[in-house]
Amino acid sequence: MQPGGRRREVGSQVARQHKPDYWLLLLSAGLLAMGLVVLYSISPGLSAQKNVGENYYVIKQLTAIGLGLAAFIFTANTPVNLWRKFERPIVIAAFVVAIAVRVVGEQINGAYRWIQLGGMSFQAAELIKFALLIWLAGFLADRIRNHEIQDTSKIQKPLFIVLGLIAVIVAFVQSDLGSSAVMVAMIASMVFIAGAPKKLLFQTAIAIIIGIVLLTSTSSYRRSRLATFFNPTRDCQAEGYQACQALIAVGSGGIAGLGLGKGVQAYGYLPESQNDSIFAIYAEKFGFLGVTALLGLFLGFFSRLKKVIVHTTDAYSRLLVVGVLAWLSTQTIINIGAMTGMLPLKGITLPFISYGGTSLVFITAAIGIVFQISRYTSYSVVNSQKVEGQSHEGTTDRRRLRGTYNPGARGRN
Amino acid sequence: MRPRTDNDEKTINPAQRVQVWFICLAIIIGIFGIRLFYLQVIRHDYYRKAALSSQLKEYLVPAERGIIEARDGDQITPIVLNEKKYTLFVDPKYITESEKAAFKIQKEIGGDASAYEKQMKLDTRYAILAKKLDKSQKEKIDKLDIKGIGTREESYRTYPQGELAAQILGFVDNDGVGKYGLEQALNTELQGVPGQLRAITDARGVPLVANKDNIITRPQNGDRVLLTVDVSMQKQMEDLLKAGLDKAKSKSGSAFIMDPYTGAIKAMANYPTYNPGEYFKVENGDTFNNSVVSSPLEVGSIMKPLTAAAALDKGVVSKNTTYFDPSKYKIGDATVTNIEEDGGAGTRSVADILELSLNTGATWLLMQMGGGEINQKARETWYDYMTNHYRFGKITGIEQGYESPGTVPDPNKGYGLNIQYANTAFGQGMSATPLQMGAALSAVINGGTYYKPRLVESTTNSKGKVTKKKPEISGRNVVSPKVSEEMVGLMQGVVNKNYAVYGMKKPDGRHIIGGKTGTAQITKPTGGYYEDKFNGTFMGFLGGDSPEYVIFVRVNEPGIKGYAGSKAAAPIFASITEMLINNFNATPKTR
Repeated sequence: MQPGGRRREVGSQVARQHKPDYWLLLLSAGLLAMGLVVLYSISPGLSAQKNVGENYYVIKQLTAIGLGLAAFIFTANTPVNLWRKFERPIVIAAFVVAIAVRVVGEQINGAYRWIQLGGMSFQAAELIKFALLIWLAGFLADRIRNHEIQDTSKIQKPLFIVLGLIAVIVAFVQSDLGSSAVMVAMIASMVFIAGAPKKLLFQTAIAIIIGIVLLTSTSSYRRSRLATFFNPTRDCQAEGYQACQALIAVGSGGIAGLGLGKGVQAYGYLPESQNDSIFAIYAEKFGFLGVTALLGLFLGFFSRLKKVIVHTTDAYSRLLVVGVLAWLSTQTIINIGAMTGMLPLKGITLPFISYGGTSLVFITAAIGIVFQISRYTSYSVVNSQKVEGQSHEGTTDRRRLRGTYNPGARGRN
Repeated sequence: MRPRTDNDEKTINPAQRVQVWFICLAIIIGIFGIRLFYLQVIRHDYYRKAALSSQLKEYLVPAERGIIEARDGDQITPIVLNEKKYTLFVDPKYITESEKAAFKIQKEIGGDASAYEKQMKLDTRYAILAKKLDKSQKEKIDKLDIKGIGTREESYRTYPQGELAAQILGFVDNDGVGKYGLEQALNTELQGVPGQLRAITDARGVPLVANKDNIITRPQNGDRVLLTVDVSMQKQMEDLLKAGLDKAKSKSGSAFIMDPYTGAIKAMANYPTYNPGEYFKVENGDTFNNSVVSSPLEVGSIMKPLTAAAALDKGVVSKNTTYFDPSKYKIGDATVTNIEEDGGAGTRSVADILELSLNTGATWLLMQMGGGEINQKARETWYDYMTNHYRFGKITGIEQGYESPGTVPDPNKGYGLNIQYANTAFGQGMSATPLQMGAALSAVINGGTYYKPRLVESTTNSKGKVTKKKPEISGRNVVSPKVSEEMVGLMQGVVNKNYAVYGMKKPDGRHIIGGKTGTAQITKPTGGYYEDKFNGTFMGFLGGDSPEYVIFVRVNEPGIKGYAGSKAAAPIFASITEMLINNFNATPKTR
C-alpha cells in the first residue's frame, strides 16, 4: 500500500460526517419511478410480442430495483476508502467476466455481451465500467498524492494500456461501441478533472479518434450503422428501421404526448422499446412537456453530482464521483442522442429509465458510493488540487471546510 | 488566499474544470431540448402521419355470401351453403428457424415442409402456406404457437347436393367471385357488401382495441336466393338425361323443364357435369357452361311449329289450308328438299308440314307471308316474328352468366337472302339457344304471352326482407289466343302420329302431350356443315287442359342410327313426361 493511500484513509476517518445529500436519493427514485411507469404501460404490448406473461417485465424490473436497493444500501454504508481494498478483486472479477463472456456467453448479432446466470442475464460491460471507475479513481488519486499527475510519463502508459484493453475486449470482442464510448468518456473526464496535462489529454484524444476510425472501417455492420446515422431515412425498412421508428415515436408524441396508455410504437414497431429505445416511447407518451421534465430531472441529478464533486476535498472520493457523473451522463447523452437522430444508435441503456437488471444494479451501487461521499463534502468549493495534496495550513478556506480538517495531514510534505 | 508556490503555474483548479465540463453537459442537454422541440412540436404532424401510415391498417371484413336454396316439393332445401375453413399464412419477418417451423407444421397438417420453408423465406410480410384447413387442423397450428404463423378464417361454398344443378349454380373462385351460372349473374347480390375496419394495429397487424382512430362498418351479408327449381325434379331429370344420352351414345346434351305460364325454370341440366365444390378439378372449361343458355345452335326442325304459328297468326294460312307440295323448291341457285322421307309430291296440310317435318312445307309457309313467294315482305314479316315475337337474337335475361343471344340474319342485307330465309323457316342459317326456343314455344302455346325465363323465385336480404320475383312479361300477343290453341292441337297431332317412332307410349288421353323433333347438321367452326354430325332436339309440352310444362331436350352427336331428333332426343322427352306424370302428378285433363 502506498503511503498516500494510508494517509487519506486516516483523513477520511477523521473528516467530520454530516447529513448525506438526500436530493440524490430523491432524484434517483424519481427517475426510477418514471422508468417503471413507462415499462408498466408498455408491458401488455411487449409481453404479447414476446409471448411472456403480462407482468413479466414489470416483475423482473422490480426484482432488479430490489437488488439495486440492496446494492445501494451496501455501497452507501461502505466507507469510501474500503473501495481501495476491493480494487484488486473487482478488477480481477471484471477480467474473469470479460473472458467468460466470450467463452460461455450468449452470442447475439455476432457480439458477446451477456452471460446467462440462472434466470438472469448478466451484462459484462456493466461490471467492467464499475471496475474501471474504482481502479482509475485509485490510480489517479495516487498520482495526485505522489505529485505525478502532471508527469505524462507516469500516466500515459497505463492509460493507453487500459484504452487498448477496452478497445479489444469491449469494442471488438463484445462489439459494444456504446459501452466503450462510456468508458472512454469516464477515463477522459477523470483524467481531465484529476489535472492531467493538456498535452496528455490531446494525445489521448488522437488515440481515441484513430481507434474509432479503425473500428468503424473494419466492420461492415458499423459502417452501415454510420451511413444510416447520416441518413436515417435512407433505409427505413432495414438498417435504418430502428432509427426511423424512434424518430416516429418521438415526433408523434407532440407537445403533450399521446397519453400513458395510448402509444403504439411499443407494439412491435420500435425494437428494444423497453430497453435502448425507452426514451422514444416515453417521448411518444408524454410529449415535449414530459421530455422537458425528464431532461430537467437528469440535469438536476447531474448537478447534484457536480455539487458533490466540487465540494469534495478528498481526491479519491472526488474522482469516484467524477467517474460516476461521466458514466451516467455519457450514457444519457448517447441514448437520447440516438433516439433523437443526433448520434448513431449504440445499443446503450438510458440510466434509471431503461429496463435491465445489470445496468440498474451497478448504477444504484455507484449512486450509493456517491451518497456515502456526500456525507463528507465541505461547504466551500475546492479550488486547487495542490491544496488538498500539499497543505491546508494557513489557508483562509480551511476554516470553512467541513470534514476536510485533517490534522493528520499537517506537517507532511 | 493561500501562499504561492513554485508549482503554481501548473496548478489545476478542479472546480473550474468540473464547471467547464458541466456547462458542456448542460449545453448538450439544452441542444436535446431544442432538437426535441423541433421533432415533437414543429415536425409533429409529419411524424404523426408517418406513424399512422404504418400503424393504421385498413381491412375489408368480408360479408357472408348468400346461400342458395331450392324447393323440394313443399319443403325448401339448401343447395349451396358456406363453410368456414382456415388459411394458414406466415409473416416471414418473424420466422427465425424456418426449417424447424416448417417441419412442425408438416407434422401437424401434412404437406411439404420444404415448400413451407420456401414460403417462410420470402421477402414479404404475408405468404400463404396452406388453404382450407379444417377447425381441428387450425387448432393444432394454434397450439404450436410459432411466432409469425397465423390462420385466417375464410368462407367456402359447399354443395350438400354434390353435382346437382352444377351449371345453373356456377361456382365461386378463390377470390370469392362467382363464375358461371347464378353465382356469376347474381354475384353482386350474393356477395353482399364487405365491412370495413380501419384500425391502429401492432406491428403484426393485430388491431389494438379502443382507439379513437378505429372505424368499423359492419359487413352486409349477401342475399339468400330461393330458386324456382324443384330439387327432386332436377335430380330425376338429370338422371333421365344421362340415361338417355348413354342410350343414344352421345357424349353431351341438355334438358330443361319450364312453366309456360310464369317462365319459371323447374329443372335445367347439362351433361357432362361437375361438382362446383371441386371446380378446380375440371379439365374441360366447356363443362362449366350452362349450354341451355350459352350454347346457341341451328335449331333445325323444331323451328317449324314457330314458322307455322307465325303464318297462322299473320292470317296468310289457316289451320285447314292445303297446298300442293312439290317435294322440292328451287330458290335462286339452291334447292330446298326434305331430309326425312316425305312421301313425294302431293297435297299437304299445315298439320302435315309438322307431322312429316317438311322443309318444303316450312318454305311454303314463308312464301305465304310474301303473298306466294319469298320476297322482301316475306323476309321482313318472318324477321319480325323471329326477333320481336319470339325474341331471337337477344338474351332472355335469365339469371345466368354468359347468356348468348344467338343470331338472326338481316332480312335485307347479304347475298342469297331468299334461300337464306327459306332455311331459317326450318331452323337453319340462324341460331338460338334452347332456352330461347323453350320460351318462344311457351308463348306460342300459353295464349301468346312471352314470360321472361327465370330461375329465382325470391331473395331474402341480410335484414330478412323477402323480395318475391313476380313473373315478368317480355312481350304480349306473340300469337293470338286462337292461333295458340290451334298450335297446341297441331303439336299434339305430331306426337299422336309419331309416338311409336319416338319410342313413346301411346298418349294416355288424360294428358295433352305435344312436340316436335329437330335434327340439325352441326356447323363447322370454319363455316359450312359437317356431313355426318347432327344435333337431335325435341321441344314439346305436357299438360292437362292446358300445357303445364314446356320440355326441351338436346342431344349432341348421338352415336345411334336414325334421325337424331326422333331417335335420340324424343325418347328422353318421353321419359321426362312420364316422370312428370308419375312422380309429380302432372295435372290431368278435366274436359
